[in-house]
Amino acid sequence: MPIPAKAFQAWLQGAAPAVSTADICRISGIKRTTLAQQLVRGKVAETTLVSISRALHRSPLKDLSSFENYAELAGKLQPPTPAELVSQIATMDLLRAVIDRSAPERGGRGGNGIPPAGPALGPAPHATAVRNWVDAIDDGELRHRVSAVTGVAPQNYSAQLTANRMSPELAIATARAAGVGLTGGLVATGLMTEAEAGWPPGAKQSALDALSDGELTALAGERLQALGKALRRQEQEQAQTNRIWENLG
Amino acid sequence: MIGILQWTTLAVCGAVAIARIPSALRGQNRSVFFVYALMTLVILLSIEAPYMAVDRALGGTNLANLVLRFLIFAAIFLLGLGIARGFGAEDAPRRITGPIGMVMLGTASLVVVVVFLMMDTAGSSTGLVGLATKDAHHAALVEYYGAAGRLYPAYVMLALLPAMLRTAASRLPGLLRLSAGLMVVGTVAITLSLLSPVIPPSLGILRFIFNYTAVLCLILGLALIWLGKARASRT
Repeated sequence: MPIPAKAFQAWLQGAAPAVSTADICRISGIKRTTLAQQLVRGKVAETTLVSISRALHRSPLKDLSSFENYAELAGKLQPPTPAELVSQIATMDLLRAVIDRSAPERGGRGGNGIPPAGPALGPAPHATAVRNWVDAIDDGELRHRVSAVTGVAPQNYSAQLTANRMSPELAIATARAAGVGLTGGLVATGLMTEAEAGWPPGAKQSALDALSDGELTALAGERLQALGKALRRQEQEQAQTNRIWENLG
Repeated sequence: MIGILQWTTLAVCGAVAIARIPSALRGQNRSVFFVYALMTLVILLSIEAPYMAVDRALGGTNLANLVLRFLIFAAIFLLGLGIARGFGAEDAPRRITGPIGMVMLGTASLVVVVVFLMMDTAGSSTGLVGLATKDAHHAALVEYYGAAGRLYPAYVMLALLPAMLRTAASRLPGLLRLSAGLMVVGTVAITLSLLSPVIPPSLGILRFIFNYTAVLCLILGLALIWLGKARASRT
């Protein structure tokens, strides 16, 4: 549920008392019309709040938790699980790690305990971050529980995962239903960076290093298969579109 | 009201047909151009004034109406083939060019010609309305004639309805799905026009609404596909 405009304006008064709306929009990169529209409708998007909080060099997590509907984000939060951390590593970074651990003549360093010195892992979120996150915390019944709690139909939930999208409210509900830290979904949906969510620096890399070769390879294989499926579907759709254009356009 | 609908449809269709001339001259998808051109002629011949002029030139025996039927068949054949190849699965074009499609086309053509020859068709009259009032025998023949003329278009469009519905419900670009949706509406309108004989005269305007809705939806659907293609090739 977005933030009530009234509460948002009260927060803005406290956070930046002397700054004009125009300046707020300029430093946070939000269009003035967008903000005005959200205020008129009485609902301010969480992304708006986070962008402004970030621009004011405040803590987006703390600011978000100052609102009634996000009060549970206050206080000490459970850290992300290793599975969640690994889920936020992009598929290409996982593949790079596989190669990195391979024999030297294959371009790797043979997994002889030398820490990888390749390029750092890309920042979250990646192209399939939302689905991978849910898969990482799903015990098989998670979707049903989330659907029962929030009233969001399973097929709508799936559609959001496919679109790599999820509202902050639903992300928190999902985390709660899975019994994991509440920030996982906020990072996976890109609302906050890992650092803003309080994830320790290098946590993703350590989680990746802790995977055995077998675990890493199996995971990379799953991701590659999913990527292949998505690409194939895209190609099929493109071919179908071209066929229609060729015959009827 | 009917006049506005007719002339608007003619204007839309004619405009698209003219806009397609350059690409047709370049040899791109000529059959789509022919669909627009044939449809434009069809609409022209369904309007009173042009019909009377053309038919008088042809001898005043309503030969123009027979020509009109075959223009419709040709337009629907080309359109159906395009839709089958574009929207359908591999076997979809067979429904148009295969045995059943050919039997439908042959039967409809034969019935239209035979019934036409059985009537005393003297005296130009749009939609053969004037002939139907001659006597009960002619009234019945005009109905058969009309039914045979509508049968083939309805067969073609209904045969392709599943492919259109599938495209409309797919994950393809929105514009293509909108086009498929419009063609579904056109198909429904064509099918409803099969009910023309049982529509009471007091609701006669429904006949026009069905016919022109069908033509407008099909033309707009086609035009949107072209628009999407043009937009994609520019970027």
